[in-house]
Amino acid sequence: MKESYGVRLPGLELDDLVGKLIVLEGTDGVGRSTQIRLLKEWLEQQGHAVLDTGLTRSGLVGKGIKRAKEGHTLGRITLSLFYATDFADRLENEIVPALRAGFVVLTDRYTYSLMARSMVRGLDPAWVRNIHRFAPKPDAIFYLRIGVDELIPRAVFTRGFDYWESGMDFYSTEDMYDSFRKYQTALLQQFDELAEEFNFNVIDARPEPRAIFEQLKAGIDRILAPPVARAAVAVTPSPGTGTSEAGEEVAVEELAEERRKRA
Amino acid sequence: MKRYGDHRIPGRLFVVEGIDGSGKSTQLMLLHQWLKAEGYGVVFSEWNSSPLVKDTTKRGKKKQLLTPATFSLIHATDFADRTERNIIPLLKAGAVVLCDRYIYTAFARDASRGMDPEWIRELYAFAVKPTVGFYFRVPLEVAMKRINDARAGFKYYEAGMDLGLSDDPNESFRLFQGRILDEYDRMIPEFGLTVIDATLPIETQQQEMRLMVLAKLTQAKQLRVAP
Repeated sequence: MKESYGVRLPGLELDDLVGKLIVLEGTDGVGRSTQIRLLKEWLEQQGHAVLDTGLTRSGLVGKGIKRAKEGHTLGRITLSLFYATDFADRLENEIVPALRAGFVVLTDRYTYSLMARSMVRGLDPAWVRNIHRFAPKPDAIFYLRIGVDELIPRAVFTRGFDYWESGMDFYSTEDMYDSFRKYQTALLQQFDELAEEFNFNVIDARPEPRAIFEQLKAGIDRILAPPVARAAVAVTPSPGTGTSEAGEEVAVEELAEERRKRA
Repeated sequence: MKRYGDHRIPGRLFVVEGIDGSGKSTQLMLLHQWLKAEGYGVVFSEWNSSPLVKDTTKRGKKKQLLTPATFSLIHATDFADRTERNIIPLLKAGAVVLCDRYIYTAFARDASRGMDPEWIRELYAFAVKPTVGFYFRVPLEVAMKRINDARAGFKYYEAGMDLGLSDDPNESFRLFQGRILDEYDRMIPEFGLTVIDATLPIETQQQEMRLMVLAKLTQAKQLRVAP
């Protein structure tokens, strides 16, 4: 049971989708992929089939985008549409079929990242929003939020500054550091606005990955139906997974609290 | 981002539209020859020709990977690349730009494939409004006869075979292009297209076109002359 943001695609029924669509949003280097990996493992252990996916991985366009970016030759309108094509391809061939089959779909970014990126580059917000109106509304959107000052050391001491993540395609007169700071600041501001408009579940991304993971688990628990052998997982101690057990208990407690609230 | 109708540029943009077999490409070629001979700085831009996106589109078509949504979006991407890198800079520089097919082709095709018409129009809102949009109107039977005389059979997407309207390419072409003709008819008043009767002799159509184009060129003050 899903609906889009207002535009229906021919041949793509959304009302018979039984799976859950869970989105992780956040800027570059905020730790999304670590969380996706942890969540996938956790969900599978609980008996949920999981599809994890991300941007620019489609069979149709993925390669083309990669190649085009290597040449740095794409205009901003073109790039926005190229990404939208890729997204549509992934939606039709990966995400929707998985949701139809009852999978939990974990996606590393969704249309919101694409919107933010386009708007930072000065494109008309109404035009940008319209492009993605065919996207199904997710069951939950978790936004891993971080400030630029916390983000910079992560970039410096892990991967270095990336050309695109620094917005060098349009702040070309700046050096990478200044450009990165400017670009990510603008991006975060866009995200904050989108968070309100699209009802993101905002999570502080500064703490340790494990602590963030616990919050995400609690949030996801709220939207999932009781999984297979739920109680057994929570009470049977298994060696070597100390932290995640603690997390299970937190999750269970929150669930109970939810029920109390509803009652 | 400038929207349709907002661009103020010294160049002139002439586009031709119509179904396959309407003769629009022939007419545009003749117009091109004439403008060159008259000494105008004229550049020709084809639908679906951006080097960057072409490969993806080609692969998608060849392997029949495209759905109505990705068909629509990949063509919009291609058109955006041509607009940003080619059409807008040329018009700013004062060139006469000729396009064989324009956004109206996308509107007609995509709506015929079931895409939301409002959504497509907004998708292409970045396009420059043409100085004149010529629409070559031709009955379906005439167009089909011309295509059959010229080459063997219809192409997969051109005949709308992806829609499963009919297993017979001829019949599918007829049904699909019929829908497209209806869409074009709707767009004539919506976008103020200039209709040319494409059943008239080639010379007569060309004469009409040249008169109209000439009127728009004499008004223009900053046109570039060919080197």
